[in-house]
Amino acid sequence: MIAVKLLISAFYLLVMPVAAGSIFRVRESSRTGNLVFQWVGGQIFLWACFQLLCVPMILLEADFAWVRVCYSVFLALVMALAVVLRVRRKKKRVVAVTPIRGFDRKNAAGYILWVIFFALLLLQLVQAVRMTYRDGDDAFYVAVSSITQDAQTMYRKLPYTGFTTELDVRHGLAPFPIWIAYLAEMTDVRAVSMAHVILPVVLIAMTYGIFYLLGDVLIPEKEEGLPLFLIFTELLVLFGDYSFYTPENFMIARSRQGKAALGNIVIPMLWLLLLLLFRRLKQGKKIPLGYYVLFVATALTGCLCSTLGAMLICVLAGVAGLCAAIVYRRWKILIPLALCCLPNVCYTVLYFVLE
Amino acid sequence: MWETLRNLFDEYMGTGLIVIFFVISLIYLWVQEKRKYIRILFVYVPVILLCLFFQPLFAKLVYNTAGREIYYRLLWLLPVTVTIAFAAVTLYLRLSGKRKIVFALAAAGMIMASGSFIYRNPYFQKAENFYHVPDCVVHICDAIVAPGREVMAVFPLELVQYVRQYEPTICMPYGREMTVESWYYFQSDLLNEMERDVINLDRLAPLAKEKGCHYIILSEDKKMNGSPEKYGWEVFERMDGYVIYRDTEIILEIPADHS
Repeated sequence: MIAVKLLISAFYLLVMPVAAGSIFRVRESSRTGNLVFQWVGGQIFLWACFQLLCVPMILLEADFAWVRVCYSVFLALVMALAVVLRVRRKKKRVVAVTPIRGFDRKNAAGYILWVIFFALLLLQLVQAVRMTYRDGDDAFYVAVSSITQDAQTMYRKLPYTGFTTELDVRHGLAPFPIWIAYLAEMTDVRAVSMAHVILPVVLIAMTYGIFYLLGDVLIPEKEEGLPLFLIFTELLVLFGDYSFYTPENFMIARSRQGKAALGNIVIPMLWLLLLLLFRRLKQGKKIPLGYYVLFVATALTGCLCSTLGAMLICVLAGVAGLCAAIVYRRWKILIPLALCCLPNVCYTVLYFVLE
Repeated sequence: MWETLRNLFDEYMGTGLIVIFFVISLIYLWVQEKRKYIRILFVYVPVILLCLFFQPLFAKLVYNTAGREIYYRLLWLLPVTVTIAFAAVTLYLRLSGKRKIVFALAAAGMIMASGSFIYRNPYFQKAENFYHVPDCVVHICDAIVAPGREVMAVFPLELVQYVRQYEPTICMPYGREMTVESWYYFQSDLLNEMERDVINLDRLAPLAKEKGCHYIILSEDKKMNGSPEKYGWEVFERMDGYVIYRDTEIILEIPADHS
C-alpha cells in the first residue's frame, strides 16, 4: 500500500512537472533543454497556476474541495496537452530530451566526481527520511496542511489551537501548505508525512537540479568542472550549519516550509533565468515567449512560498535588470522585466489592502 | 540602525569564514571573468544587494512593511553558495596536473572547516516514525482521538508543537505560541499551572475545566497535590512516560453516525 502511495506521489512530483515542462520548453540550447530543466520549469509552472487558482478561493472562503477539483482538472488538461504535443513531436522526429551533460564514462576523473556527487546527494536524501529537524514553525505550516486535509477549510482555523477564526489573509496569500494538503489528499498520505518525509526528498533534489542547470551555463568545461561545482555546492550545504538563517540551512532542516522553497528553488531559478536572459542579450538573440512565461511563473511561485517572496523577487529582478540595462545599454529590457514582476506587485498591494 | 544591520549580517554569516570566501570569490570573478553577463550577475548584482542591505532607509522601509525579524532574508538574494563554488571551479580549471587535485582537496577541506556538519545540529534527531513527530505524541493522540468530532486536550509544553501536525482534530487551549519569547511567552494561567514542578490540582483542575478540556496529559514524573478523583478526573491511560486523565465532568458525545 505504501509503495502505491509513493508511486502516486512520484506521479504528482516527477511525472506531472516533467509533462508540464515539456509544453513550455525554453530551449536556450540543447544544454538547458534537458530533463532537469523540464522538471524544474514544469514544477514552477504548476506552482504558479496553483497560486492563481488557490488564492481567490481562499479569499472567497471556499472549501478546499473546490481547489482539489479545479486543480485536478487543470492537471488533467496539462497532462493531455503534454501527451498530444509529445506525439506530434515524435512524428516530426524532434528530440525532446537531451542527456545530462558532463557525464562521460571515458573520463575517469569526471566519472569519480559524478559518483561522489551522487553519493553525497543520496546521503542528503536518505537523511531527509531518516532524520527529523524539530522546528517550531512546523507547528504552524504543517498544522495548516493537516487541518486543510482534515477539515477541508483553508486558513479559517488557528493552527496552534484549532479554534475557528476569521480568514488569515496574511498567510492565505502564500498557500504553500495548501499545496502540500492537495498532494496529501491526492496520494492518501497524511499531510504530516507528506510534509516531513516525501516532499523534502523531492525539493532537495530539485535544488540540486537548479544548481546543475546553473553550473551548466556557468562552466564551459563539463567533464570535471560541472560535477566538481556540484560537489562544492553540496559541501557548502552540508557544512553550512554556521548559521541558523541561511537558505542552505532551511533547505536541509525545513524543506517542507514555503520559505525554504523560496530561498532554495525560486530564487536560484530566478538567477538561472536572469543568466539565460542576459546571455541572450549579449548574443543579440530574440527572447522566446516561453521564457517570459517561465519568468512570470517563477515570480508567482515566489508569492506562493512566502508573502515576502513577492518583494524579494521584485528586488532581484529590478537590481539585475538595471545592471544589465546599464552594461548593455539596452533600457528596453526593463519593460518586460517590470511586466513580469507585475503579479508580485499586485499581491503586495492586495496584502496591504486586506491586512 | 547600522549596528542592528551589522549584527544581523554577522548572525547570518556565522563564523565569518564564508564571508571571506564569498568576498574573495567576488574579487576573483571580477578580475578573471570576461563574460559580461556573468560579471553582471555574480559581481555587480551581489555588491549592489549588499549595499542595499546596509542602506538604513531601505532597511527602515522593509522593517515597516514586512517586519524586522525577516529582514535578514534579503541576504537570501546573494548567491553565496553558487558564487563560491563557481569561483573555486574556475580556478581549478586553470590549474593542471597534481596542482588541480591538491587545490580541489584544499578547497573542499576549507569549506568543511568553515562551518559545521549540519546533521550534528542538536535539533536534528533520528525520526521515530513516518510522521517525524515523537512516538509518544502519536500514541497519545491515537488514544484520545474521537471519531467524528474534535476533542480538547491540554498537553505538556514539550509536546504542543507536534500534536496538531499529527492530529488536527485534537484542539488545545494553548499551543506553540506560548513557547516563543517575543509572542505570548507563558501568558496563560493554565500553562503556568501545567508547568509547575508540583501540580496543584486545586488550581489546575478548575482552569482545565473552564477551557473545556476532555483530557489532561501530564508527565508521570510530576508530583501532584490533591486527589484527581475529587475533580472528576480518572486515569484514562498511561503511556510513554505520560498519564492521560479524562475529565468525566466534561461531556464527550460521539456523533450518532460515528458511534
